Amino acid sequence: MPVETHAIPGARFMDPTVLARIGNLELVARAVVDGFINGLHKAPYFGASVDFAEHRGYVPGDDIRRMDWKLWARTDRYYIKEYEAESNMNFSVLLDASKSMDYGTKGITKFEYARILTACLTNLVHHQRDRVGFVAFDSEVLEHVPPSAKHMETVLHVLDRLKPGRPGNLKGPLHKLAEHFGRRGVLVVISDFYEEPESILEAISPLRFRGNDLIVFHLLDPTEIEFGFNDAQPFEDLESGEQMPVVPEAFREEYRSLVKAHIDALTQSFSAVRVDYTMLDTSKPLDHALNRYLNSRARTMKIR
Amino acid sequence: MQFLAPLFFVALAGLAIPVLLHLTQREKKQIIHFPSLMFVRRIPYEAVRRRKIHNWLLLMVRLAALALIVLAFSRPLFSRTNQAPPPGAGAREVVILVDNSYSMGYGDHWERAVAAARQQIGTLHASDRGSVVLFASSADILMRATAEQDRLGAAVASAKPRFSSTRYAPALKVAGSILSESALPRREVVLISDFQRGGWRGEEGARLPKGVTLTPVAIQGGADRPNVTVTGLSIARSTFSNQERATVTAGVLNRSERPVSGASIVLEVGGIPIGTKPLAIDPSGAASVSFDAFTINAKNMRGTVRVSDDALAADNTFNFVISPSEPVHLTVVDRGSATSTLYLTRALSIGDAPRFDVISREPDAVSDDDLKKSAVVVLNDVEVGTGLARRLTKYVDQGGGLFVATGSRATWPQDVDALPATIGPPVDRTRGDVGRVGALEYGHPIFEVFRAPRSGDFSAVPIYSYRNLTAAKGAQVLARFDGGSPAVLERKIGAGRIVMWGSSLDRSWSELPQRPVYLPFVHRTVRHLANYREPQPWVTVGQVLDPSATAVLRGQRMILTPSGKRVPIEDEGSDVVELSDQGFYELRGENQNVTVVAVNVDPAESDLTPMDPKEIVAAAAGLSGSGDTSTASGVPMTPEQTEKNQRLWWYLLCGGIMLLAVDTYLSNRLAKT
Repeated sequence: MPVETHAIPGARFMDPTVLARIGNLELVARAVVDGFINGLHKAPYFGASVDFAEHRGYVPGDDIRRMDWKLWARTDRYYIKEYEAESNMNFSVLLDASKSMDYGTKGITKFEYARILTACLTNLVHHQRDRVGFVAFDSEVLEHVPPSAKHMETVLHVLDRLKPGRPGNLKGPLHKLAEHFGRRGVLVVISDFYEEPESILEAISPLRFRGNDLIVFHLLDPTEIEFGFNDAQPFEDLESGEQMPVVPEAFREEYRSLVKAHIDALTQSFSAVRVDYTMLDTSKPLDHALNRYLNSRARTMKIR
Repeated sequence: MQFLAPLFFVALAGLAIPVLLHLTQREKKQIIHFPSLMFVRRIPYEAVRRRKIHNWLLLMVRLAALALIVLAFSRPLFSRTNQAPPPGAGAREVVILVDNSYSMGYGDHWERAVAAARQQIGTLHASDRGSVVLFASSADILMRATAEQDRLGAAVASAKPRFSSTRYAPALKVAGSILSESALPRREVVLISDFQRGGWRGEEGARLPKGVTLTPVAIQGGADRPNVTVTGLSIARSTFSNQERATVTAGVLNRSERPVSGASIVLEVGGIPIGTKPLAIDPSGAASVSFDAFTINAKNMRGTVRVSDDALAADNTFNFVISPSEPVHLTVVDRGSATSTLYLTRALSIGDAPRFDVISREPDAVSDDDLKKSAVVVLNDVEVGTGLARRLTKYVDQGGGLFVATGSRATWPQDVDALPATIGPPVDRTRGDVGRVGALEYGHPIFEVFRAPRSGDFSAVPIYSYRNLTAAKGAQVLARFDGGSPAVLERKIGAGRIVMWGSSLDRSWSELPQRPVYLPFVHRTVRHLANYREPQPWVTVGQVLDPSATAVLRGQRMILTPSGKRVPIEDEGSDVVELSDQGFYELRGENQNVTVVAVNVDPAESDLTPMDPKEIVAAAAGLSGSGDTSTASGVPMTPEQTEKNQRLWWYLLCGGIMLLAVDTYLSNRLAKT
């Protein structure tokens, strides 16, 4: 199947700050994804076939159009044909829209980066004929777009008007959402994960109970990693409003080691439960994230 | 280096301001919003880290700028130590002023003062000269300008406290006079005193010569006992069973911060205790103690009120002298008519201090014995013959007093020149406006009591007739009628006086006897003519005694002081004696007549409230104590030199301003980065 490409040359290497200036998420997503796919030189359209899988006995209520009449003629029994096409996956992005995500020092906030990333992934999956869904949460579920092949536009629309504003909490909304993802699929969680690794794991784990594949993107601003402040100033927590006097040069090394330990702990924890964890720096181009996703999908397919 | 305004160094505390700003200000800048303080919260927070100073250079610049400005305002002053001293520099003329007022007897003050004086003497070198001056209310030079320390030490050792009060000005004047005669380059005054506030009444012209250093040595400190002062007495006379009695009430003050309890106060008369009362006074409290009355049965009875021994002994006793009150004898010469002397005799019968003992005589009946007994003779509108006039003139010449009232009958022989005025014809003021008395000499003892407002108005007294008096040579007109004619005149004849009144003392010519001014006018006139002085129970140390002023002492020749010293009184020249000791002075005459004077210390001196010696230093020698325009070498500087030595402040101020400019530049640069 020919691939429609409206690639912007080199778009996948584009600086996220430049992408952030493009208001139309669809355009951004298409530009990034198409360019990305072109670069891969690999047909991404799998799972859309109508290949026969198996027969099963007819039960009242089955669509008689799916009846195998030839087999009936031979055996005088009613059988229904089942196809692989019905196994197309659900793809949902769970985006953390808490206040802490509304932070950025390099021209783009974590939330804007996450939004672009969500749009790109959704666009990419949509191209694969998978069903796309979207969930935004902070301490509660803010937006919920159920997975559907027709929800691409809805997701982009919801993404476009979403604004972070409240303190976040992973456990509550994610536990609640786990009940909704009854069908196996791919769930992508995008958050800055400002909680203890154990709490994060506890919050995330229920999402896997139904056999969902989990991909976790840990978004951080470079400043959150490097702590590149100089002057002693009072710091205010974006979510709690708590203020603390901070002398960065005295705190820096310890802060860095704590963040590194946090990331290491998350890497280790997610790895243990076979969750694909990626730490993303908002200064880095988006292709890293997309690549990570595709690799993850490839692994999933192999396993299947 | 010295500083003219060292108080400005207090502003150095302002150096803490930039340090605090450097430590705190930066934290008050814009708040950093951070996604989460989860990791920051885990880092142990040490407050000391906040106090780290970031810009040492900026801080140092600011501190230096402030320090320079403060230094500039403190006005540093360079002494000319680098100049070669003039020949003879270093030789000192030192005047040691030692306070020996009686307050120095408090505790061990005197011993410490002597030790301080000896210490000062010990600092004298061979080329130095020293003087020792003792001072209280006056200053006495014990030893003048000598280099012999032994003599100076001996002079100090021989000194002891006096009974006088402290006054600094005379001592400083004496020191100034000694130093002004000195040719030595370094001139110094050492003032050793307890620095009582009461001894300093302002500068009083006590300005030391320029270049003189005044060094105060304060002898202060409390004693372990309270200090009680008998501040005064009140003596009330009364008559009981035809005997005069006196009741003494003593005022006692506790000038210390310790309570007085278990003490006693004693009244002694003639050296014998006749009354003892317990005494208990709170700290800084006062008490009044009354003793039982005693009979005044002799002249010159010596009394003393004495309290128990305390830290300052001199103010514990208070002496007084009391004698039976003596009347003023006078003879009234009149026509024998009761109406003409009614008002006069009634007026003279009133009063206790003094009482008037009046005898009336007709002109022909006045005897020499009457004149001899009388202190005053009153001629109440009578005709005086030549014989009586001559006898009265002689009487006045010997010290008697004559009061002449000129009514319608008064005459005086023209050939006897004694009266203050010649008696002219009567002036009738019954028609038209009545006569008034005005133009009173209020400075005269007779009219002094009428000086104050509402103290008697002579002009309100209608005078219907008066004699036209013409003042004689040497007479003083004390009051005039409204027509200009003399109304009251006085003339001195020998040792006595004659006062003349131009109208009558009865109601025939005026309404004076019925007016309030009549009684005091008559009393004052008689007392003046009798040369009456109210007896003083005591006087204060430092007052002078004039033996000639006391009538009793006429012809006396000797004074016996409390210390037993006999002081003969010269016939001529200065016969005034200064009362310098506490106790009783006896004035003895040829006829064994004795007058006793009780002398007490000034109770104000027992108030030991100290003053700041710098006040005296500032007043007498300038602020620095060494004269504000002199150097250590004692050579006065010119104004240009003085200004030159003080010019450093200008450079310091410029330096401070430049550093502030550098600070501004650095701040701007740092702000941009």
